[in-house]
This record gives sequence, structure tokens and C-alpha cells, in this order.
Amino acid sequence: MNLRRAIISYARPFGTLAVLVALGGIISVLTPYFLTVPNLLNVAQQTVINAVIAVGMTLVIISAGIDLSVGSILAFAGVVLAQALHAGWPLPLAILAGVGVGTACGLVNGLLITMGRLPPFIATLGMMSVARGAALLATGGRPVSGFGESFRWLANGRLATVPAAVVLMLLVYAAAYFVLRRTKFGRYVYAVGGNEEAALLSGVPVGICKIAIYGSCGGLAGLAAVVLTSRLNSAQPIAGLSYELDAIAAAVIGGASLMGGEGSVLGTLVGALIMGVLRNGLNLLGVSSFVQQVFIGVVIIAAVLLDMLFKQRKR
Amino acid sequence: MNSFFSRFFVVALAIGLIAGCGRRVADSGAGRPVVGLVVKTLNNPFFIDMERGAEEAARSRGIVLLVQAAEREVDVERQMQIAENLIQRKVSVLIIAPSGSREIVPVILKANRAGIPVIIVDTRVDAAELESAGGRIATFIGSDNYEGGRLAGQFLVERMGSRARLAVLEGIPGHETSDARLRGFREALAPYPEMMVVASQPANWERDQGYNVCQNILQAHPDVNALFAASDLMALGATEAIAAAGLTRKITVVGFDAIDEARQAVRRGAMAGTVAQNPVRMGAVGVEWATRILGGETPPPTVAVPIELVK
Amino acid sequence: MDHSVQTVLSMKGIVKRYPGVVALEGVDLDVRRGEVHVLLGENGAGKSTLVKILAGAVRRDAGTLEIEGRAYELSTPREAQTAGVSVIYQEFNLVPGLTVAENIFLGREPRGFLPGFIDQALLVSEAERILHGLGVVIDPRSVVRSLGVAEQQMVEVAKALSVDARIVVMDEPTSALTEREIGRLFMVIRRLRERGVAIIYISHRLDELFQIGDRVTVLRDGRLIGTRVIAESTRAGLIRMMVGRDLTEQFPPRGATVGEEVLRVEGLTRRGVLDGISFVLHRGEVLGLTGLMGAGRTELARALFGADPIDAGRVWVRGSEVVIRSPQHAIRLGLGFLTEDRKRQGLVLGCSVTENICLASLDRFSRGGVMQAGNERAEASRLASELRVKTPSLGERVLNLSGGNQQKVVLGKWLCRSAEILLFDEPTRGIDVGAKAEVYQLIRRLSAAGKAILIISSELPEILGLSDRILVMSRGRLSGMFGAAEATPEAILRCALGADAA
Repeated sequence: MNLRRAIISYARPFGTLAVLVALGGIISVLTPYFLTVPNLLNVAQQTVINAVIAVGMTLVIISAGIDLSVGSILAFAGVVLAQALHAGWPLPLAILAGVGVGTACGLVNGLLITMGRLPPFIATLGMMSVARGAALLATGGRPVSGFGESFRWLANGRLATVPAAVVLMLLVYAAAYFVLRRTKFGRYVYAVGGNEEAALLSGVPVGICKIAIYGSCGGLAGLAAVVLTSRLNSAQPIAGLSYELDAIAAAVIGGASLMGGEGSVLGTLVGALIMGVLRNGLNLLGVSSFVQQVFIGVVIIAAVLLDMLFKQRKR
Repeated sequence: MNSFFSRFFVVALAIGLIAGCGRRVADSGAGRPVVGLVVKTLNNPFFIDMERGAEEAARSRGIVLLVQAAEREVDVERQMQIAENLIQRKVSVLIIAPSGSREIVPVILKANRAGIPVIIVDTRVDAAELESAGGRIATFIGSDNYEGGRLAGQFLVERMGSRARLAVLEGIPGHETSDARLRGFREALAPYPEMMVVASQPANWERDQGYNVCQNILQAHPDVNALFAASDLMALGATEAIAAAGLTRKITVVGFDAIDEARQAVRRGAMAGTVAQNPVRMGAVGVEWATRILGGETPPPTVAVPIELVK
Repeated sequence: MDHSVQTVLSMKGIVKRYPGVVALEGVDLDVRRGEVHVLLGENGAGKSTLVKILAGAVRRDAGTLEIEGRAYELSTPREAQTAGVSVIYQEFNLVPGLTVAENIFLGREPRGFLPGFIDQALLVSEAERILHGLGVVIDPRSVVRSLGVAEQQMVEVAKALSVDARIVVMDEPTSALTEREIGRLFMVIRRLRERGVAIIYISHRLDELFQIGDRVTVLRDGRLIGTRVIAESTRAGLIRMMVGRDLTEQFPPRGATVGEEVLRVEGLTRRGVLDGISFVLHRGEVLGLTGLMGAGRTELARALFGADPIDAGRVWVRGSEVVIRSPQHAIRLGLGFLTEDRKRQGLVLGCSVTENICLASLDRFSRGGVMQAGNERAEASRLASELRVKTPSLGERVLNLSGGNQQKVVLGKWLCRSAEILLFDEPTRGIDVGAKAEVYQLIRRLSAAGKAILIISSELPEILGLSDRILVMSRGRLSGMFGAAEATPEAILRCALGADAA
């Protein structure tokens, strides 16, 4: 009975996965440097930041919203974390501060959208500027850098051979998958995005849900800031410019619909990996960065076009 | 299932494109040493010049040069990714113009670990940071930014008769290049108390910000009669703001980098001067040293590329 | 040839297949000049597919189509329009922010003095001419958003005429209209008929078909059952053709005994909408609520359910006074609200049957926030079979279900929640005769099981056939109350119009 349903819900991520595998196949034919364990781990590691932000973005997009502020929140959370470390806070506390600041910014987004009834686009557009300004203010515009070995391990260390950051990313995805597929909250996210009015009239706590969604999105941007700061050994107030667009792209390539109600974190992970593999492959091949931008754009448009085609055929 | 077919169609298209772009480089690389050059961005004429110089040098020496850059000059994370990818590509030497003087350190460590020599060009690496992290670079090739800043300052002192109300457009705060230029500039002004800096604000190396920040400064300080910008892009933005305010030639503008457009502005009189770095030369020297390192030579810690004032 | 003058549309052997489903299997349809041709069939019978083919929205797999003797492919809506076909859907295709005149001539505005400009005066006068020809009074300069449903429908009709349509398809045109508005619509339809326009009329209401139709074509399961002259048909005969069996007991007999009071409302007021509404509802009772469109019936249900704020009034649920602040709260108190517009307010169309049925009761199926999929599926499957929901699987998106089955899913949602007080707003709107009878039986069963039910409906037979007591609203007030025995259509109508006349 559930086979059909299962096929429908997994076909999309698998379809995207097929694109990823094919892309990898082509690149590995063209260059011997791609299909090596170190390089694949390298790609995974490079994907972590976008992928972690994109999880939150996927939640937001499924709920029929958008979050433009993640890049700025990332910068703000990063400098708060960095300053906490410089102030001598213990590592876990400093990380908590960074993630906490991100979550707080996200919660403010949520409150503006629910209580203030602002469209998500406007609320997060405002937050985009506020968080960026806050990051610049907090640092006087200068990067905050130089941290201890243990903090740098987060992004650069390895568990066995797997980079710690990649493990973190996989944990985040496993958790998000579980939340979206197996919890009440996850069901609510789809219901709110699919039909907010119907969800409300069915007793779904729509407001609380949205606040939680934007809060998580901000928190995940904060988590991405931890990885980025550790990776660069520096927190820049101008970090994360246009990261929101990368995250939206990953979610959309992965099958999330900006109309809401549709999307999956597995799809998003594959979407983020496609972007990472494309950039890595084009670098290995020595293709100009201008061409790379064209490619990413083509992939986004093609993914969405195909998705629409797929849905039409099904009808 | 239809979607699978259409997907593969798109992928096929991608194959075509990638193959078209990639084949040339991949094929011609056989047997010859490959050098990677990572600049800050390729939409800044300065780095386009550097790329040109490097490519000419590479061609004459028979090495393969891969030039890559982030879309945005400030995107340190993206630059890091590109450098990582080139390390995976196993280039023989990596030449980098760092987007961030501290943020580049982890990349240098990775290259060190992979046994790839790193040549830094244009922007210095934060020395303390590099040392504490235990990283090492083969050499730094660059203009003496401090010296350039001093040249600009001295020029303005002469030009303004030791008396002026000055505005300064800074690069990205905390950026070594910007800091060095400004240090040199202020040093040159120090003996002249009548040379008053009334406003000094960052315009982040960008032309449109140069325009906006200059416009704002003119609002706040209408008596400004000289302006120094730590890069030509910012200076050119400023000259447009100055022209819009009808003050062309009334404000003496000095820039830095001597890109083509700035040289023209100097000829037109919209700018009084610009400090000429020689990015073409810088690129060429970078590639030259890369080959010499491959030949077993050890470069000096710093290779200076001459600097001069164009007026 | 006389035949080609007479027959304006001729469709032969139309076939349309979707993966796994045959929507139409060799259907013929011929429509004559100046006739009202009714298309009848249960939901899923293939009416809407046939209409979509005619509208150029869907391509047929086989069959021929001729309009005034000329063969057409009709592969795009544009082609259908130039061929003279105009379709008025249930959801209107109007731009709410534009004026009536602008909507009528959207995309075909009369060119002004300069290219790119619109001749406003001509636009308005042309619109006026068309509306006048229809015998309706609407200011062409008014913004569509400000119009009522009936008026918007007239704008759609005017739009169809402005493109010189020879075939006008009307999909359930009366579903949102009051009796009086229906009368006006029928006048307009007769005018169109006199002009020689062919009208394809889709409706579930058999009464209407006898009033307005000339001939009727019945479809069932994608097949043509037959075309009849309406004057020679009977109600029972048509129902038999539609459902393939006799539907004797349309309204099952009342059997329930009315129990204690479960809901008391006193002086419920929402400024400008509801004015001092008071009533009680008992266990096992079916309370009918009717009135004209805009009388405040839906608004009453929404206010009770906590979806809209109230300005004054007191509410008691099972004897204790409550202030219902949100739908969540109402649901906790045991209320359930089957909304008038199931697609916009009742269902999450992209979610599955199971997910929709369980949406209001996730607490039941989760422990510590984690869903227990097994329990959920078991309960959904129990309810779906009890309600006889026709779906390929419980995992199917409700998007792909027919109207009647969608409505059953909404019902299932509230049964799953074990709601004790059910507010049904137009529960049979847009669903076919067979499904209607099922819903009626269900309502009976629920009241017999002790549920308290408030039914809002514009269809008097439905109200009269189901209710133990009947409330009538007019302009935000209760204008009458009847026991089942004393209620007559005339008396109810008088009450509904009451405040209007005063």
C-alpha cells in the first residue's frame, strides 16, 4: 500500500542523487584528481557550511517562507563566538553563545512574522541588515581571529579519517530528517506550508511552529558560523555575504518548493553536494570562476524546470 | 521515470559544457609542471593585470598556469575552498593573493602538509598568526604598500602646500594592504600639522562604496579639498561623487594601484595622481619564482616589486 | 446543410487516459445552437476532463472535435477561445484589483490615442453595453474585489460574451449563489439562449436542471451513459443513470433522541457581522442554519470556533462557560469545523489522506513529540473504510481525490479527533448526488451516536430533510427558528428575506 507513496516521496531525492552521481562520473572521467578519497572528503568538508545553513532554509521553505538573513546571522553569531573565545569563555559556552545568538535572531524573525504579521521576505530582509550591522558594530569592522587548538579542531580535525565537520553535518541531517519525518513538529511544518489556513483550523499551533522554524534556521546559521570561524581561524563581520542564496539554491535543487509544503532534507543535502561537487570539479579542471557561476545558475534553473515537468507529467 | 531521462539530458548538456571548457587545460597539462594562481577576484582590473603578467610568464617558461578566484573579493571562505581544490589537484606551486591576511593561514598549513610551496603575492600574511600556527611560505612578492602610502602622502603635501583638509577612504578594516598604505600615508603627513585628516572611513575596496562614502563625507565636511583612497576603485567612485557635486579639480584626489581607468582620470585631471603598483610585473615575478623554486632555488623572504607615483 | 447550422459543437469518441486511470472512454457530445445542455455525472465521472479538453487545457488522446462543422485540435486555451469556447470555472479567473471593465477586456483593451494607452471611455462604454445586454446592473468602473460572488459571475459571463463566445461552459455556476441570485442567473442564461449561444451547464442540483436545461448528457466512470431531452426525463431516471442504481432514501429518517444541552450561545456579537446571536444545541441534535449568502452564517461558525474574534457574547460548552480564543482551544473543547471551502481551509492538499485525517489529533499519535506511525495508519485506515473514502492508497495526496472523497477526509479528520460538537458549513457543496447521500447518512449516524451537529446550508431541501430544528439568519441576526414539523420552504425563505424587506 505504501510503496507508491514511498516511491513518490523518495523519487525526488533519488532523481537529484542521480544528477549528483552523473556529475561526479563526468568530472572523474575528465580529471584523475576528483575521484580520490582525500578530494571527496575535501568536497564534503567544503559543503558543510552551506549544507548546515540549508537545513534551516529547507524548514523555512517547506513552511512557505524564506529567510534572507542567514548570511548576516552567520556573521553576527561568528563574531560573538569569537569574542567570547577571546574573552576566555570555556569552549562549549562560547559555542553555545554563538548558536544562541543565531537562534535569538531567528526567533526575532519568527516573532516579527507571526506577531508582527510581516511577510517573511520583509522581516528577514530587515534582520539581514540588522544582524550585519550588529556584527560590524561588535567588531568595529575588523575580523576577530586566532583561537586555540581545540576550537580549530572542530573544522579541521578528523574522527578516524572523516573530518569532524562532516560528521557534524551528518548528525545535523540525521536529526533534521528525524524531526521532519517522525515528529509532530515535522508534520506541522508540512501542514503549515501546505495550507496555513487549514492547519490553523485544524488546531495546529501555527504561530509557535513558525517561531520555532525561524528560530531553528537562525540557530543552524549560528552552528554554521561555529564551523566557519573554526575553519578560517577567524570571524569576519562581512562573512556570509549571499550565503542565503546558496542555501536557497541547495534547497530548491533538492526539490523544495517556494510555494511551501514540499521539500526534504535529503534532497537538500544532495543539492548542497551538487553545488560543492560542481565548484570543486570546475576548480580541478581549471575552468574560470565566471563559467562556474553560469553553471550553478543553469543547474538551479534546470532542477526546478525538471521538477515542474515531473509534476505535470504525473497529473 | 520521465524525470530521470530529462535529468540525464541536462547532465549530458553539462558534460558537453564541462568537457568543452575542461579538455583544453586537462590535455595540455601532460608532463609539464602546473602552477596554481589564486587571486582575490577577477572582476578587479588589478588582478586581471596580474593574471595577464602571470600568463605571459607561464607561456614563455612552458608551464601550465591555473588561475582561479572567488566571485567576491571579500569571500575568504570561497578562496579557501579554491585553494583546497588546487591542493587536491596537486599543483606544484601555489601562488596566492590572500583575501584575508589571517584567514589564509589555514590554507597555507594545508599546502605545507601536502608539500606544496606557497608564494604569497600582493597582500602580506599576518606574520604572527603564521608563525604561531607553524606555517611557512616560500616568499612574499609585493609592492611595498607602506612605501606607496608614503609616496602618496608626500605628493599631497607638496601639491597642497603643506596645508589641506583631507578625507581618506580606507579598504576593508583589518586588511594588511589597507593598513600598510594608510600607515605610510599618515607617516608622511605627520610632520605637517596643517595637513588635517577630517574624515577617514572604510569603503571596503569597492567602487560604489567609494562613491557613497565620499558623497557622505562631502555632506559632513564641505570644506574637504583633498582625498586619498587606498585603492583606485574607491578613488574612481569618489571622483564620480565629486563630479556629481560639481567639485571636480577643486578636490585633489590621489588613488592607489594605477589601473588603466585611473591613469586616464589622471590625464583628464579628475585625479591628481595614483600610486603605481605593477600588477603585471607582480604576476610575472610570481610565476618566475615558482619555476625557480621548482628548479631547487630558495627565494629571499621578500621580493619587492617597484612602485612609483603616476601624476 | 441544416445539420451544421443546428449543431454547434460535436465531440465524438473522446478518449483521455492518465497513467493508471481512464478519465474518458469514447465519449460523444453534441450541443446545438441556443440550447442549455446539462452535463451530469458524479464527481470523477469525467465531466471536468471533458470540459478541460473543450477549454484547450488538456489534450485528448483520441476522438474528433468539430465546432460549427470545422475540426479543431484545441491544444491551447487560446485556440479554444478563438474557436468560440468560453469556460466559466467555479473559481473565477478575474483580477480582483482591476475594475469590471478592465477585467472584461483584459488582454484585449481598446487601443487609446497613443500606442500603449487604453481608451478608458470606450472600455467603460463597451463593458456597459455588454452588461446591459445581459440585463444586469453593475458599474463597470467598480473594482472586482468589491463585488459579491453573483456579480463576479456576471462579469465572467460578460467576459465570455465580449470575446463573442458561441459556446459558454458553466461549471457549477450556482454553488455559491442564493436562491434569488440563481433566479437572476437563469434569466441571463435564457437571454444567452435566445441569442443562439450554446450553454454547457454542469451542476449537481437536479432541481436546477429541470428549471433551465433543454437536454442532458449523463456520464459515469468516464463513459457516456446517454443523452436525453429533459422534458421527457424524470428525476429518478436521471439519478439511476448517474449512479447506476436507485437512490431511494436520499434523506434517511431521523432516529436519534435529543439529549442534554452541550452548547449554549448568548448574545454573540461581532461588530458589523453578527448581532446578538443566541441558541442552544443538544446532544444527538441536528440544528440547521440557513439564510441568504452574506447573512453571517459562516461568520457565526468561525466566531464559535475561535477563528475570528468576538466583541460580545457568552458561550457555554457542556454547561461550563468558556471564552474560545483560538481554533486550538475550540478543538480541545471538542468542537470540529468542516469548512465551506475544503480546498482552501479544510485540507492540506499536498499531504496524504492519512496525514490529513490525523492532522487535528497528532497528540493522540505521538509520544514526546515523536509520531507513532503504526497507530496513525491504523486509525486512518479504520476511518477511511468506515467513511468509504475512495483512494488508491492512504498515502495518496488528497489533491488527487474527487470532491466527495476529499469531503469525507475532512469529516474523517474530526471523527479522528472525536469531536463532540460538529459545525458543518455547506457539507455537500460541489459533491455529487451519490456522495451527498452518503454524507447525509453519515450525519444521521453521527447524531445517532450522540454528536451535536450544526449544519449550515443554502440548499433548503437539505436543511429541511436533515434538521431537527432550523435557525434562519438575516443580516447578522437570527430572524427565525422552526421545529422540523412546522418548517416549510416558504416560511424559511420569508424569514431569510425578512430583514431585507424591512
